[in-house]
Amino acid sequence: MRQILKPFLLLLTLSSILFSCTKDETTVALPVTAITVSNLPADTVLGINAVTGMPFSAGKYTFYSLERNAIVPNTDSASTKWDLAFAGSKILTNGGTSGTGLGGAFIYTGLFDDVKTISNDSVFKTDNAPASFAVTFGSGKGWYVYDQLTSLITPLAGRVLVIRTASGKYAKVEIINYYKGGVTLPITASDSDKLSKQRYYTFRYAYQPNGSKTF
Amino acid sequence: MKFRLLFFLIITPFCLFSQVVIVKDTLQLQGDSVVVTATRSERKLSNVTVPVTIINAKSIQQIGALRLTDILKEQPGLSMTSGFGAGVQLQGLNPDYTIILINGEPLVGRTAGVLDLNRIALGNVKKIEIVKGPSSSLYGSEAMAGVINIITDATTKTPLQSSLRYGTYNTIDAGLNNTLASTSIFYQGYYNYYSTDAYSIRPSSASRVTTPIKRIATNQQLKYNLNNNTNIIVGMRFTNEQIKNELSITNGGLTINSNGEEKNTDYNIASSLNHRFSNALKTSFRSYITQYNATQTLLTISGTPYTDILDHVFNRLENQTDWVVNKKLTAIVGGGAVMEGVKSSRYDSEKIRKTNTNQYAFSQWEWTPNAKLILIGGIRFDHNQTYASAWSPKASMLYKINKQHRIRLSVGQGFKAPDFRQLYLNFTNAAAGSYSVFGTAQAQKVIGQLNSLGQIGTLYNNFYQLKSLQPEYATGTHVTWEFEPNANNNFSFQLFRNDIRNLIEVQQVGAYITGAQIYSYLNIGRAFTTGFEFEAKHQISKEFSISTAYQYLETGDKDQLAQIKNGTVYTRDANGLSRKLNVSEYVGLPNNSTHKAQLKFNYSNQNGLFGNIRALYRSKWAVNNTNGNEVYDAGDSFAKGYIAIHLSIGKDYTNGIGFQFGCDNMLNYIDALNLPNLPGRTFFATLKIQKSKKYKL
Repeated sequence: MRQILKPFLLLLTLSSILFSCTKDETTVALPVTAITVSNLPADTVLGINAVTGMPFSAGKYTFYSLERNAIVPNTDSASTKWDLAFAGSKILTNGGTSGTGLGGAFIYTGLFDDVKTISNDSVFKTDNAPASFAVTFGSGKGWYVYDQLTSLITPLAGRVLVIRTASGKYAKVEIINYYKGGVTLPITASDSDKLSKQRYYTFRYAYQPNGSKTF
Repeated sequence: MKFRLLFFLIITPFCLFSQVVIVKDTLQLQGDSVVVTATRSERKLSNVTVPVTIINAKSIQQIGALRLTDILKEQPGLSMTSGFGAGVQLQGLNPDYTIILINGEPLVGRTAGVLDLNRIALGNVKKIEIVKGPSSSLYGSEAMAGVINIITDATTKTPLQSSLRYGTYNTIDAGLNNTLASTSIFYQGYYNYYSTDAYSIRPSSASRVTTPIKRIATNQQLKYNLNNNTNIIVGMRFTNEQIKNELSITNGGLTINSNGEEKNTDYNIASSLNHRFSNALKTSFRSYITQYNATQTLLTISGTPYTDILDHVFNRLENQTDWVVNKKLTAIVGGGAVMEGVKSSRYDSEKIRKTNTNQYAFSQWEWTPNAKLILIGGIRFDHNQTYASAWSPKASMLYKINKQHRIRLSVGQGFKAPDFRQLYLNFTNAAAGSYSVFGTAQAQKVIGQLNSLGQIGTLYNNFYQLKSLQPEYATGTHVTWEFEPNANNNFSFQLFRNDIRNLIEVQQVGAYITGAQIYSYLNIGRAFTTGFEFEAKHQISKEFSISTAYQYLETGDKDQLAQIKNGTVYTRDANGLSRKLNVSEYVGLPNNSTHKAQLKFNYSNQNGLFGNIRALYRSKWAVNNTNGNEVYDAGDSFAKGYIAIHLSIGKDYTNGIGFQFGCDNMLNYIDALNLPNLPGRTFFATLKIQKSKKYKL
């Protein structure tokens, strides 16, 4: 993954340099490229408690910087270095009760490519644990559905997470898959596979480093 | 108490008719081609204006069908569903929309709208009539897709009939049917015992697909001719089933195993007084009492008891008068009252029975202007205490073009009243996320109270739209062309379309502070089912016949189709990226196969030897909306199409002894996930002993 990410990082760095130069003039919206992140572990299941029969995990979020396209160490959880945090099917933004940044989000129903400009009347929600989250938590309410019959999580098609990052910039995210390798397991897969191979995010995102609401 | 009653009912007839004398057979059966369900009066099949299928006792026996499910699954245009027992889907409409009658009286006891047809044993059934198309103009609520009427007859031919069958998975079925007759009294008593072991078609799974079941059933019918013009018929039916339960509920990775038992009991008593004033006028008073009780008792592994009770009472008084106005015009007028009540653990109090009353009147006029044409118009009005009244009109015609061609055309409106669950459910599922479902009769009050206690997080707009439910309506049109070139060949081709509106659907109306969903019911859905059916039968020789049938079916939710056309429904492309769903990818309502076909060979000779082989095909059907876009499309989970082949051979000797052997599902087709009721290949053997001469009192 790192191999693929390098050119993007370079591009991002370049573009931010570019923008820092032209910042005070008219805002020129450079077209942003979509980046795909694969197999991002999000508090994966470590095993099953022999006594309760419940799966257990480390209980730690995976912090991610959209700006740098990189995982942020957990030691920096109290910083504005991360934009999204993942644990299981829960996604946090760096703001409100979750972080010290300016983060927020809303869920847009439609296609990723159709989010060209965030309209000014869009309302970004912020995390307000435990009552509500910017990226709404729960089956059918936010970005996924959970099927009780098959115990599988499927990201909803046509959902775009419109994100305000920790530094107040904008990004759009589409969750593509929740399973290792980017392919949802067949319904006939074993229960142990369904547990051990879940909580691996594949998503694509576009980050607008210039602070504008246009992608 | 129940068993004492049963004992009494079994013993009494034997005491009454202990002086049994054998006489020669004087009673002739009416021709099997007489239909009662289509018009609520006896009509020759060739004079009926609506599409009707008749299954006679001989076909039931020759395929070795034990339960109603066994025979219905082999009928063109019907398919079986497997959630909440085996229900029947008629021309794409769910089990809720077909009324099941026994001798014209409705069976009650539906779970989630499904009446488990395995409850009905077929040992004493004379025939089954299936009417396709809305028939509420005669039968009221539930007769929206059609009517299935199971007819038993006390004046049946065979005086004593017993059978014993043994099959795979220790399936035992024992039946005894005896009839007694004098010039004025006819009695039929039927007893059935059925049991089967558990079987698992998922070897790696601890949970059994079918759990051990025991069923007993009895049916007693007495007909007394007071004089040539007056008779009394009293029928009583009792069934009890005990099903072992081993449940495993998984929620959020937590699995709870429970063990227990399910006991379902139903009985009904139907009495009628029938009087003929003249050849032109007859009337019938009927009373019907029925009760269904389902009790599930479970104990979880940790010892927590759980009881779930559903108790449904349905009482009806009815009169029907048939009047032959003149040679060309006949009329039926009728009316009645229903008192109904349900108690359930899933309502606010399981001790208080929720009740409902319904009064209705119906009339039907049949006009035969000439020998080629029959026109029927009918209408029924149902007035109800708890939901809006319903009018159900229907018009139909039969046109006999010539001896070989017939056209039947019918247009009717059917309805289904909101059921007790939709009105009174008060259920919070602690096992799965603590969501709640409230029936509309109480939703606003209950949720209002919760709100004043500060437990409600959000209320959606549709919460404020909750009001008393309307019945669901369907308008159905059926056009049938029948072609009978000669006695050995017949064909029929039928086009059908049903448009359903006001569908009652579960909708989320709000959420608790905890985020758990709150649901209620709203009249929102609009759907359609449409297609065609083709049937052909060819008599190859005296002994051999072949028949085939095919159904093409399209279904859809009209609102979902509109959303897809608007481009607001999404799916994913091969790379997993979202895109808009195309209308061509929409597959309609779940559990419906586009193609269904069957091919049957039948042999039967004069020496009592018979055999048949039946092949049934069903194309793939959508089972699960895996991609979560709320519509069923090409990207969802489907059950694979399959072929089941069944075989049965037997011989009936003239001395009354008969043998039968059969093999069901010869190809051993198994789909544990989607067809839990289809075990692999099974075998059975049956021994029959019958006394063909009649007993006389």
